[in-house]
Amino acid sequence: MAILEEPVKGIVEVKNYIDGEWVDSQGEIQDVVNPINGKVIARVPISTKEEIDAAVEAAKAAFPDWRRTPPVARARCLFRLKELLETNFEELSRVQTQEHGKTIDESRGETRRGIENVEVACGIPTLMQGYNSEDIASGIDEYLIPTPLGVFGIIGPFNFPFMIPLWSAPYAVATGNCVIIKPSSEVPLSQMKIAELVDEAGFPPGVWNVVNGGRTVVNGMLDHPDIEGITFVGSTPTAKNVIYPRCGATGKRVIAQGGASNFMVIMPDCSLRATIPALMTSFFGNAGQRCLAGQNTVVVGDDDRFYSEFVKGVVDTAKRIVIGNGLDEEVQMGPVRDADKKKKILSYISDGIKAGAKLILDGRSDFKIKGDYPDTCFLGPTIMEKVEPRMKIVTEEIFGPTMGIIRVKTLDEAIEICNANPFHNADAVFTSNGRTAREFKYRVNSGNVGINVGIVAPMAFFPFSGIRDSFFGILHTQGKEAVRFFTESKVVIERWP
Amino acid sequence: MQLNTSASVMSFAKQLEADSSGFYQEMAQRYPEAAALSLAFARENGKYATMIERAYYGVITDAIEGCFAFTVETDKYVIEKQLAKGLGYADALNQAVNMEQKLISFYTDAAEQSKAFMADVPRTFLIVAKKRKDREDKLRALLKEK
Repeated sequence: MAILEEPVKGIVEVKNYIDGEWVDSQGEIQDVVNPINGKVIARVPISTKEEIDAAVEAAKAAFPDWRRTPPVARARCLFRLKELLETNFEELSRVQTQEHGKTIDESRGETRRGIENVEVACGIPTLMQGYNSEDIASGIDEYLIPTPLGVFGIIGPFNFPFMIPLWSAPYAVATGNCVIIKPSSEVPLSQMKIAELVDEAGFPPGVWNVVNGGRTVVNGMLDHPDIEGITFVGSTPTAKNVIYPRCGATGKRVIAQGGASNFMVIMPDCSLRATIPALMTSFFGNAGQRCLAGQNTVVVGDDDRFYSEFVKGVVDTAKRIVIGNGLDEEVQMGPVRDADKKKKILSYISDGIKAGAKLILDGRSDFKIKGDYPDTCFLGPTIMEKVEPRMKIVTEEIFGPTMGIIRVKTLDEAIEICNANPFHNADAVFTSNGRTAREFKYRVNSGNVGINVGIVAPMAFFPFSGIRDSFFGILHTQGKEAVRFFTESKVVIERWP
Repeated sequence: MQLNTSASVMSFAKQLEADSSGFYQEMAQRYPEAAALSLAFARENGKYATMIERAYYGVITDAIEGCFAFTVETDKYVIEKQLAKGLGYADALNQAVNMEQKLISFYTDAAEQSKAFMADVPRTFLIVAKKRKDREDKLRALLKEK
């Protein structure tokens, strides 16, 4: 099968999108490298404080008119955006593969998930309705009006360059706010493409802005008094130590989604035929670079035969995973985003081995790349047995294609391990027993719980949850919670004597 | 060759539909007695390709087993898409029946493999398989008339 055509040809000069214009930055320029072949595909500016300030000014100036625009008219802009995203679906997906390295199935999946958030936000005329009580006292009525707040900052990660800013931005603008998106400087092209479509969809200037860059832009957002709130998806140290406290200090609303170390609990009564592909997706999909990825399996029971069959099944299947260029439709796993991330993953594997884990599939060397590509960013799936809950490969987020296998005797022990972990993003159980499933979902302290589902990714009309070190804030991105986050509850008490 | 990813299976299915459409267009030209039916089949192939594409693009998400949903051995479903020079009408109908059987088997097998993973895709595959079974019956009826 042929490799799909690359949409990005040559080197794209990425600009900022401020006040409806494409603007050159005065900041230094950084290369964007395709992790598959090491080629530079774009140059992205690391914008200055003045540039983020200019974007805030533009957004602030656009806010009063946008807020006055009726929700149905705002929704029509989103309907046009949705249509444009559908029309450009394939190109948008291939851009993600080029800038990130993920497979084309994964990129198309990411595009679909992003568009679904735009679709949900199109329902804003009803999603944003308030409520009222007549005669709270005789002749006095009281009602609640959700009102927009102003300007919001949206800080995206590298692992889902297209989708994650869309967990927030459509809801923010649908509710009448204006946004400034800062994509990861490693993968800025998807947000640039979206902004081109936003422009074509006819959003007024200043409503949707994109400022590329790094810390200066983030700090500029966090410190700016005219930014009402921030949504952030990234690592736990940044979410916990930077975004959350700084938003608190400046009185901003905040959604700060951090990392994870998720458990997939395997009961001996599960269907291996359905479970193993689910685990392959969970652990090795997106090369393990997602906060919903499985990091460890916890195999329950003392049935040695089942355990051997399970381990053999996952190892044999993982060994056969086709690794290579994500634009080759047969490829099942792409590279990790860059060489530094690969180095970090390798160091976790070494840590695991030193701590006593037994390597049964060595993704450091035991893999073949389909096609003629340098191995700079490639890794194979790694599987380790005899993993203990106290090991760093369990307590810290690896963010790579690795699977640790922990063995326990009972479901209680498995749940204890899940709940003792500092992260609580997504845990799942694989079973054919309804009682086990109920027990698990009832007792496990995870924001997202899976029953025979390896990637517990909530749909756009549900919040993307998370607990403890995986999430800092109260309300979440997506759906009704996002609408709530982006609006203030104005309460009116009315009397006409 | 074994295909495991949804993307590769979708491309394979679309190629089969295009090949099968080409076959029926040629059949329509060469055998006037089957022209209307063959052209209708060729048009339907385009519809099937669209249905499959819509199902895939509608259901694919980052959360499902898109890269691990299939184990399609393509060699099992190779179709004879050219009509040999001088081939009689009955033999052409037989070739069409054989092609339909291969395609029914592809769609049925692929639906079975992916039913736990791909939601609307296996359902669409089964719809196409059923429509192709109807086709097979129509072709067999023509053979009987012959």
